[in-house]
Amino acid sequence: MKEVCIDINGLTVAAAVDDSTTLLRFIRGAAGLTGTKAGCENGECGACTVIMDGKAVRSCLILAAEAHGASVTTVEGLANKEELHPLQQAFVDHGAVQCGFCVPGMLMASKALLDANPTAGPEEIRAALGGHLCRCGGYKAMADAVRDVASRKPQQ
Amino acid sequence: MNLKIIGTSPDRLDAAAKTTGEALYTADMKFPNMLHMKVLRSPHAHARILGMDVTRAQKAPGVVRVVTGRDVPGPFGEAVRDQYPIARDKVRYAGEPVAVAVAADENTAAAALDLIRVDYEPLPFVLDPWEALNQTSPVIHEGLMEYKTAPFVMREGHNTYQHMKVRKGDAQTALAAADLVVEGEFRWPPNAHTQMETLCAVACYQRDKSLTIYATTQAPFIVQSTIAELLEIPPGRVRVVSPILGGGFGGKSDVTIEALVACVARFVPGRHACLTLTREEMFNGATHGRSAACRYQIGFRKDGRLTAIVGESVMASGGNADYAVNIITGMALAGAGPYRVDNVRLDVYGVYTNAPPIGAFRGYGHPEVHLALESLMDTAAEKLGIAPYTIRDYNLLRAGDANAIGQVMSPHSGNVAECAKLLSEKLSGQQLPQAVPHCRVGRGMAAYMKMPCMPSNAQSGAFIKLNPDGGVTISTGAVDMGQGLHTTLGQIVAERLGLPFSKISFNATVDTLISPYDWQTVASRSTWGAGNAMLLAADDLLRKLREQGAAYFGVSPDDVETAGGEIRAGERSLPWGKFAAGLRGPDGAALTRPVTGEGYFVPQGVVNPDPETGQGNAAPDWTMGCAGAEVSVDMRTGEITVLRLINVIDAGTIINPKNAAEQVSGAMLMSLGAALSETVIFDKKTGCVRNNSLVDYKIPGIEDVPGQVDVYFVETPEESGPYGAKGLGEHGIVGTAPAILNAIYNATGIRFHSLPVSADRLIAGNPAIKGGE
Repeated sequence: MKEVCIDINGLTVAAAVDDSTTLLRFIRGAAGLTGTKAGCENGECGACTVIMDGKAVRSCLILAAEAHGASVTTVEGLANKEELHPLQQAFVDHGAVQCGFCVPGMLMASKALLDANPTAGPEEIRAALGGHLCRCGGYKAMADAVRDVASRKPQQ
Repeated sequence: MNLKIIGTSPDRLDAAAKTTGEALYTADMKFPNMLHMKVLRSPHAHARILGMDVTRAQKAPGVVRVVTGRDVPGPFGEAVRDQYPIARDKVRYAGEPVAVAVAADENTAAAALDLIRVDYEPLPFVLDPWEALNQTSPVIHEGLMEYKTAPFVMREGHNTYQHMKVRKGDAQTALAAADLVVEGEFRWPPNAHTQMETLCAVACYQRDKSLTIYATTQAPFIVQSTIAELLEIPPGRVRVVSPILGGGFGGKSDVTIEALVACVARFVPGRHACLTLTREEMFNGATHGRSAACRYQIGFRKDGRLTAIVGESVMASGGNADYAVNIITGMALAGAGPYRVDNVRLDVYGVYTNAPPIGAFRGYGHPEVHLALESLMDTAAEKLGIAPYTIRDYNLLRAGDANAIGQVMSPHSGNVAECAKLLSEKLSGQQLPQAVPHCRVGRGMAAYMKMPCMPSNAQSGAFIKLNPDGGVTISTGAVDMGQGLHTTLGQIVAERLGLPFSKISFNATVDTLISPYDWQTVASRSTWGAGNAMLLAADDLLRKLREQGAAYFGVSPDDVETAGGEIRAGERSLPWGKFAAGLRGPDGAALTRPVTGEGYFVPQGVVNPDPETGQGNAAPDWTMGCAGAEVSVDMRTGEITVLRLINVIDAGTIINPKNAAEQVSGAMLMSLGAALSETVIFDKKTGCVRNNSLVDYKIPGIEDVPGQVDVYFVETPEESGPYGAKGLGEHGIVGTAPAILNAIYNATGIRFHSLPVSADRLIAGNPAIKGGE
């Protein structure tokens, strides 16, 4: 067992974990944040994507111990108190949500993209969402939602 | 009718919660002192279990209990009682559960599995559908003829658990007299549902002989009755809760892992015990879909008139049949497609094979038979020198025509001819793109029709509770697995009650001890069935509001009006909300009671098909439409790119166009996956699933979405549906794959008879293209 401290959505979460505990299991278990979904626990579906130190990562492929000292944002960290994040609102507006299981991962991948490239175009959005699986087939609405946010003039 | 909310697309009621992580799915449930299960699965496709030693596992530190097939009851099953929660004596597919370890955490439970010793005597196994039908193949269920079954099961023994027939006219004679006969065998391999949420269930058995189970299920009431019977507890003590569901597509219908989880939970009373399947287990330990071969002969007159359809189809159903019986019904009753044909002879067999069981999968037998039909329609068109649209238009069902099972189409049954016409116009309305070097482009179409396969009295229920703010909360026994059901039902209720949509809230979970009865959420039936129940509940609520208004104002209910969210008697009025908890008079005496509307809907006049001929009013409605595809094929690499997909569907009145289009296009994309990349592959030597990951079983990603995906609605109001609506959740899958295959043929001249069509097969299929253009 190892004591691990990870900053998740601005709060430090500390827990003793064994060597095989993934960041995904740490987030869902020790931190109790179940918005991050386990779709395959093998890096194949993207549902568990979170932002770690500014980059979108698949939390099932990272050990909790590796994330010690890192700063992580999960889907629960997106909204600002009562207000949905513009990406969340765009997903709602575009009807991009069906069963919703892939949505947290899609949102976090989109957030990381727009943080790095606020005016991302369709090709960049497709690339960022590549490898994120959605069986309901909502890809187009999601890509449109991200594009919608990316094409807005930056707020003052 | 002046409709305000029907036909609009308000935001989904569940959308915001699903973007914030606040939506709770089954695997998000945590309980004090919760235990975890892991399942030991058979490595053999077919074997006798000679013995099992679990003593070491049972003694391992942290292991609470090891449970084997000998410890649990069985068999169970709604249609054919042929499955055990944990295998006993014999395993019938690689991946079948043989033991379950329960421990405080998953790792400890998983480690315990390594300590279990099972002695197997491997037996010959069979995977191929025709081979399983053959009397010389290994027998998979020796007790088949003794199993308890539902009355509509027509088993023949050996491996054949169902033989469904359709007989109309004299098909053999008509075929012999036909000017042209086209024929072929078409195969749709097993597909994995691949819901992003894997199966999960958490059960707690209490010593008062009650059981609560939270489960990823589309069928909470089926699970309730099955568990009650298995564990011999009254159904009223079995509480099945279906939280928010991460995709279903049929793979969470009927009974999946719940029977096993409930039986194992009984050994650890008072504690919640959880089983979450891994993605790998979703490929070898959960149901799949499709897996059918269809041999068709179709006769035509010179002028293109369809004169006879003769079909023999078989579905390789895996290690148990149970509800797959009804998929056989779907393949039979829809086996002649949306066409007028006087002579039909169809034989559809359901056979056991040594693969994971085949269960419901979006489309329910219809895509399989349409692959054969719609491929052969194009072959006939070409041989007769008629355009694909023209030959379909000539034969499509119109009002007054009888379908293959003798149902006469009425003007409200749906206008498939209009769908085909519009599809053809849209498909040819755009110029075929200029083929880039080495590529060929082509187009194809496929018409379709689909019925809901369900019991003739499939029930739907609805509650509408009035709240103090004057809004209402809707509850149903139907499950929202992502299709947007609550939003659709909310629109129906708001329209009927005359409330703004913002006044509607919903109960996201189904709880069998509280929710109104509902058969199960399958067959694209819930907008229609639960929608009708909601209308009845809304009318009940309005009636009760008039009664309570009458009690309060001291008038007759006939003199009370409810419009605009106000209860009005002459000059006096009060907002609805005041009546939510009941009102008192000036002296404090109670005058009114709280108000809840309830409604139950069952289809009227639907009967079982005749067992010998399949004839009868067996389908309450049909949803019809036409699919189209445009593809580009690289003749050097064999790579197929779908450029456009179109679907024109007549699903009656569309309640929410945005949601509806998302449903249809999602199903089209699923069909594209089946056409080009998806198939569950079995090792020929061991019978084990070889591609049990999302890398090796490739579903469409964003890169596979065609540049253009268009859905058009023809809205012929369905007279039995709420505001004229009927189902559309499955239909996008039915015609799309055959349309893609027809487009590939149109582009390359290569006719494929099975899915998926990979680049390798395209190159191997035609030596002429190996050298390129």
